Amino acid sequence: MSEDGSLALLLLGPAGATGLYWFLYRHYRNTDKSHAFERETAVDAQPVTGSDRKIDEIKGTRETRIRGDNVHAYRTRVQRLPGNGNGKPDT
Amino acid sequence: MSNPRNPPPPPPPLPPYTGPGSPQDVPPLPGQSPIDPATLPKPIRDELQAPDPVAIDTSAAELKDGANRCPKCGATDIRHKTGSDLLVCLFCRNTWHGARVEEEFGLGTGLDELSGTVVASGAQAIDAGSSHLMSFKCSGCGAEVTVNTESQMTARCHWCRHVFGVNEQVANGAVPDAVLPFHIKKDDAVARIRQFVGKRQLFALKAFKEQFTPENVVPVYLPYMIVDGRVSADVSGQGEIETARYTRGSGDNKKTYYDADVYQVERHVDFTVDDLPLESSGARGNLDTRVNTNNIINAILPFDTKNAVKWNASYLNGVSSEKRDRDVEHLRPRLEDQLLSIARHQVEASVNRYDRGVRWEQERLDVHGTRWVSMYLPVWLYSYHEPGRNGGLLHYIAVNGRTGETMGSVPVQHWKLLLAALAVGTFLEGIALWILANQS
Repeated sequence: MSEDGSLALLLLGPAGATGLYWFLYRHYRNTDKSHAFERETAVDAQPVTGSDRKIDEIKGTRETRIRGDNVHAYRTRVQRLPGNGNGKPDT
Repeated sequence: MSNPRNPPPPPPPLPPYTGPGSPQDVPPLPGQSPIDPATLPKPIRDELQAPDPVAIDTSAAELKDGANRCPKCGATDIRHKTGSDLLVCLFCRNTWHGARVEEEFGLGTGLDELSGTVVASGAQAIDAGSSHLMSFKCSGCGAEVTVNTESQMTARCHWCRHVFGVNEQVANGAVPDAVLPFHIKKDDAVARIRQFVGKRQLFALKAFKEQFTPENVVPVYLPYMIVDGRVSADVSGQGEIETARYTRGSGDNKKTYYDADVYQVERHVDFTVDDLPLESSGARGNLDTRVNTNNIINAILPFDTKNAVKWNASYLNGVSSEKRDRDVEHLRPRLEDQLLSIARHQVEASVNRYDRGVRWEQERLDVHGTRWVSMYLPVWLYSYHEPGRNGGLLHYIAVNGRTGETMGSVPVQHWKLLLAALAVGTFLEGIALWILANQS
């Protein structure tokens, strides 16, 4: 077995212990729960529009996902561009 | 005693007004202006005549502060009939139904045309100077009765047993536009809490288990702003599509490599949201799980707010309540944050082809219109105070008073949990060592 494989196997104990601790802690304390307003609110959306433009190619990366992937992290805010942002009527 | 020949000196004159807008000025009637705007220059006239923030008047003309009587017999001992939206007179058993605000004020319609900020009259800004204590003269016996609107909306006269309610929308934030009456009965709530805690026994704090009495659960009306909105959102970032996957090296040095195309991705979506609930109490809106368990109460949202009925304090007879202390402007940043999250959720399906994921880098929100209605929503709350540093932690178990959705925070016996985790870790490590030993 490779060195990487042995190391991964040796980490099984600490990883298992930590994982179980967090899993049970959350099951009891539910610190990760909140209102899932993204899914549970009645939203009536128009069809999504937009554009896709190829800008680059990557060759031979070892990363399995794009760096900084946040497509599922809806609540992580990114740079906010100024909108009208105040609920005032459109002019 | 005054002498008729020497009348007392007249009282000193009142100090003159200190200027326009001074507190002594009697406010003009709505729409009334001391100067005819038509005589003013156009830019000023336009500004004056621009529409004010639209408000929906939800005040109930038929209800007043103080004694509100049964329409049939005139008794004031009126209660909510649990499990329904009915009010029942405890004297003659007459029952009647409150009007649904959805139809009464047209809250379910016109989302597509929402513009500006529409604030219902019960959600108006709170006047910092207004008191949460309200006093009435009992119409039955003349005694003075005080209602502390921080926690109660009704009170009983100690002398003649008349019941009084607060129904007029004063600027202290206590009277909302609507209330959603309890449907879940106490027995049901107790059973749900028992079931919830039943599956969290093994590692629960010993003291919590010993003191666990779900019969102590209390019904509370908590204040919320229910928001409708019409918005547009734009997001932009980069996405990657895998074009090739291959391995290099052999044996132990075999590694996987990927080729990918990088795209600049932009998305735009217009949408309306209907009845998004936001906590309008500052304390409840703080969802920091390190210092409180308010996220538990947040997690039992949403409610069927479409069925809310017009405010009547009789629904809260015998039930405690928390007063609203946040205005529309306080809650706007939270609303915008949630709307951006909803927008990101909406565009997610349109970027499925990026199998290596998308990194959103910029987002923009245009709020075209919002409508704010304040409501009291029903929650069954069971609480346990865990002693500890900085005053300990108050654990809640909450049951949604309409849907029965239950969520809770059960305090943990840390040493037990740690021991279990270590035992499992040691067992896994034993297996790992056995495998390694047998391979070499």
